[in-house]
Amino acid sequence: MKSWLHMIWSRSLSALRRNRLDREFDDELATHLELLIDEGRAAGLSAEDARRQAMRKLWRPDWLRESHRDQRGLPFLDRLTQDLRYAVRGLSKTPAFTVIVVLSLALGIGANTALFSLVDSLLIRSLPARDANRLVRVQMTMAGLGLRKSMTGFPKDVFDDVRANAGVLEDVVGYSHMDRPTVTLEGSIEPLRQVDQVSENFFRDLGLSPIIGRAPAPGEDTAVVISSAFWRSRFGGSPSVLGRAIAIEGRLYSIVGVAPPRFFGMSLDNTVDIWMAPRSPGAQDMVGRVKPGVTIEQAQTAMHALLGRIGQARPGKIPADPNLITELVPAGRGFSQLRAQYERPLQALCVLVTLVLLITCSNVGNLLMVRSSGRRREVTIRVALGASRSRVIAQYFIESLVLATIGGALGLMFARWGVSLVLSMLPLPQIPAGLAFAVDARMLVFTAALSVVSALLFGLAPAWRAADVDLTSALRPGHGITSPAAARRLRSALVGCQVALSVLLLVAAGLFVQTLRNLTRLDMGFNPDRLIQVSVDTRSAGYGRGQVAPLARLLRDRLSAVPGVESVAIIRNPVLRGLSRARMDLPGVTVGRDEAWDAADVGPGFFETMRIPIVRGRPFTDGDVEQERMLVALSESFVKRYYPTTDPIGKQVGGNLEVVAIVGDAKLGTVRSPMGPMMYFVSSRQPDRFNGIEVRTAGNAETVAQGIRQVIHAVNPRLFIDLKPMRVQIDDSLATERLVAAISAFFSVLGLLLASIGIFGVASSAVAQKTNELGIRMALGASRWSIVRESLRETVLVVSVGLLAGLAAAVAAVQVSSKFIADLLFGLTATDAINIALAIAVMAAVAIAACILPTRHATRIDPLVAIRHE
Amino acid sequence: MDTKLDILQGTLDLMVLRTLSILGPLHGYGIARRIEQISGDHIILNQGTIYISLVRLEQRGWIRSKWGVSENNRRARFYSVTKAGAKQLVAETANWRRLAAVMSRVLSVGPSTGARGGSSL
Repeated sequence: MKSWLHMIWSRSLSALRRNRLDREFDDELATHLELLIDEGRAAGLSAEDARRQAMRKLWRPDWLRESHRDQRGLPFLDRLTQDLRYAVRGLSKTPAFTVIVVLSLALGIGANTALFSLVDSLLIRSLPARDANRLVRVQMTMAGLGLRKSMTGFPKDVFDDVRANAGVLEDVVGYSHMDRPTVTLEGSIEPLRQVDQVSENFFRDLGLSPIIGRAPAPGEDTAVVISSAFWRSRFGGSPSVLGRAIAIEGRLYSIVGVAPPRFFGMSLDNTVDIWMAPRSPGAQDMVGRVKPGVTIEQAQTAMHALLGRIGQARPGKIPADPNLITELVPAGRGFSQLRAQYERPLQALCVLVTLVLLITCSNVGNLLMVRSSGRRREVTIRVALGASRSRVIAQYFIESLVLATIGGALGLMFARWGVSLVLSMLPLPQIPAGLAFAVDARMLVFTAALSVVSALLFGLAPAWRAADVDLTSALRPGHGITSPAAARRLRSALVGCQVALSVLLLVAAGLFVQTLRNLTRLDMGFNPDRLIQVSVDTRSAGYGRGQVAPLARLLRDRLSAVPGVESVAIIRNPVLRGLSRARMDLPGVTVGRDEAWDAADVGPGFFETMRIPIVRGRPFTDGDVEQERMLVALSESFVKRYYPTTDPIGKQVGGNLEVVAIVGDAKLGTVRSPMGPMMYFVSSRQPDRFNGIEVRTAGNAETVAQGIRQVIHAVNPRLFIDLKPMRVQIDDSLATERLVAAISAFFSVLGLLLASIGIFGVASSAVAQKTNELGIRMALGASRWSIVRESLRETVLVVSVGLLAGLAAAVAAVQVSSKFIADLLFGLTATDAINIALAIAVMAAVAIAACILPTRHATRIDPLVAIRHE
Repeated sequence: MDTKLDILQGTLDLMVLRTLSILGPLHGYGIARRIEQISGDHIILNQGTIYISLVRLEQRGWIRSKWGVSENNRRARFYSVTKAGAKQLVAETANWRRLAAVMSRVLSVGPSTGARGGSSL
């Protein structure tokens, strides 16, 4: 064992001192030879004979030197450096080829890396907290009526009790998001800084050690911690940030620490830059660690019991509904609405991006084979001079690795751009910093691994082909340029693969683009044009239960007076932001126990503003609100479902509600969901809040929007959240579909481009190959058409086989995946035949276009030149 | 060519080690001449391959080398056995003797004496 270590040590050392050791060995050999000559001369031989005898005993010095070097050092390393130098030299001599290959690889690898970054940051990566996989958030959930509503905020004393008595849950921390605070630094306002209020043990118990400074001490209410990104961007990463003052909502705080990098709070959708102690005892979310050895179910039961006990000890703090269950949801990866929305699309995109990589590798493999066929003479000479086949293959493969490495490095850059682009397409006010592209160890390992895999995919076959030289025939004149039949077959196979893969990409893109088209052209049931939706927040603006109704009236009056406004209506929850559910007794109708329907609370003038047709009855009026009448309107689907034969108008439902209208179906929840039974309540009872105002406009949208903003600001600046035309709102709610359609379309165009290059290459080389034959045919009087036919025969075969393979693969793929991607599609199934047919047609058209130039070249062949061509 | 050398290389290593252990510090030529004398020219040896053996033995720590001056006043490396090398030599020699004995027994057993001759194995 020891001798083995000794050997590795001495070999490594020798590798470093190679030149000196070479010279020393030369000295030793020279000495030895001289001694042999002396011996010969001492035995009486002449100088020349002595020398000859000496050289008979000590021969082949070059081979001795090489063996000595191999034995001494690390021959593997020597060969590697040699191959690397050779590869780099060779690549720099053909810059056009190198640039094209590197760019293609960068695109393929970059696309994969970009997607991996998104998948990692959204779906896979854990928070940088200690034992993140044991972290859970406590929530109470009401599941029923087809809706799940969870309550995650608990009052401070409940939090204290849980912390003190948790048992199964340790290290319980609390946090809450602060609502749009004003943050001032040295007198100037910091826009868009988000703040979380956290319990004093937040950093300590989560295991987040500040990279400089410290976490606030218990009771230190004026200390705050800032995020790494904030520290770097605003304070230049300087340690002088510690002790600096920062004002939040008018009060001064001191910065005592900087959070670890890549931590932006428990929610991935926000970018929290500042953590402070709670200013007032408000509701907090609770996150803790499940004790080792305890299952989630056990912990949930225990927590439910604990919350029950606390609820009894502190009446009113915890809702005591028997339908409420306690849940402990995993918190290790943070929370994100985006995750739920994008998980499935990202999975679909992973498949597409793999196809792109395969197409890229086929393309590069093809290019490499063309190149290596041009170097056959050189390879033949090397083999004839004694290079082993495995050496040649290794050297070609090293070249592929060099290309793949450069392509991968460039791909990282492309990935960064790609991720920024994708994130900017999301309808978020701010790009969540936690999702941004960051080059860390994981990303580098992924890119490196992908580069190696790509090199294997595209490099191995050409390397193998390159070393396959027939020594006798290859050195004859005329064999230096054209490739042997086997190589051409492999190239054709590669192009056929590209065609098939492109067909798959086209099918996928077609599905997603068509889905988007179907969704954007959907009849919403209301008129979305010239309709502006305003989001307000009456609760955080401080309006209590008695003040909301007068506010609604005030806003309606003032907004109606804005020039360009046709009508205004209040709605409790803005359109396309979620609907409530309701269930009640309908006299004379059987309603199942688990049946429920969508419901919305709307103000007077709603149906007119939205242009939802009133089929029968009358709309809600201001008078209804003033006299606090309990009224409802039903959608047509509702009537069809529950009152197919009778007229519900005038009937009493749910005890004391009177039906005054039947209105047309409308999509107020999500674009995708079908228009089902819906019930509208007029907000006549004292509402506790409302969040949406719909404004029907005529005239210049910008000026009207300005007017609306001014009115609301004048009433109360804290009310206003945002304002969007309804069309934009609809588009935003289709952001996922838009993203998937855009990306898959981009990939399919890329695939088409690469495939067309490949087809062009095959067609050109087929024409070049057959120039001789075509020339003869032309000289013998063949028609142009027959020349074209002859020159494209092989190409047509390859493309046709590729199309067929693509068709078969597409049909198989959609059959298998139709269940999996059904939720991503709308208005068509994965097995849509027209879509597949269209994909094949597009690919065929592109293939024909790619063949045009080679075909023209074929018809322009000069027979005299061609016959002499070899 | 390579495989043939490898087999010889292993036995050459042993020869070199043995030579150095008997004769003390020698340079390459000295080892070659001693082997030539002992083996009585029965082996065809490219004397340069001794240096390959020497590299191997030195890598394993069984011999060490020092620069000195040869008989013809040239710079030469002198090799000598280490303690570990001496131990290795004892083990290798025993191995070789055992192997030689077994080989000679196997090669002398004919088809008729099979039942009695090979039973001790």
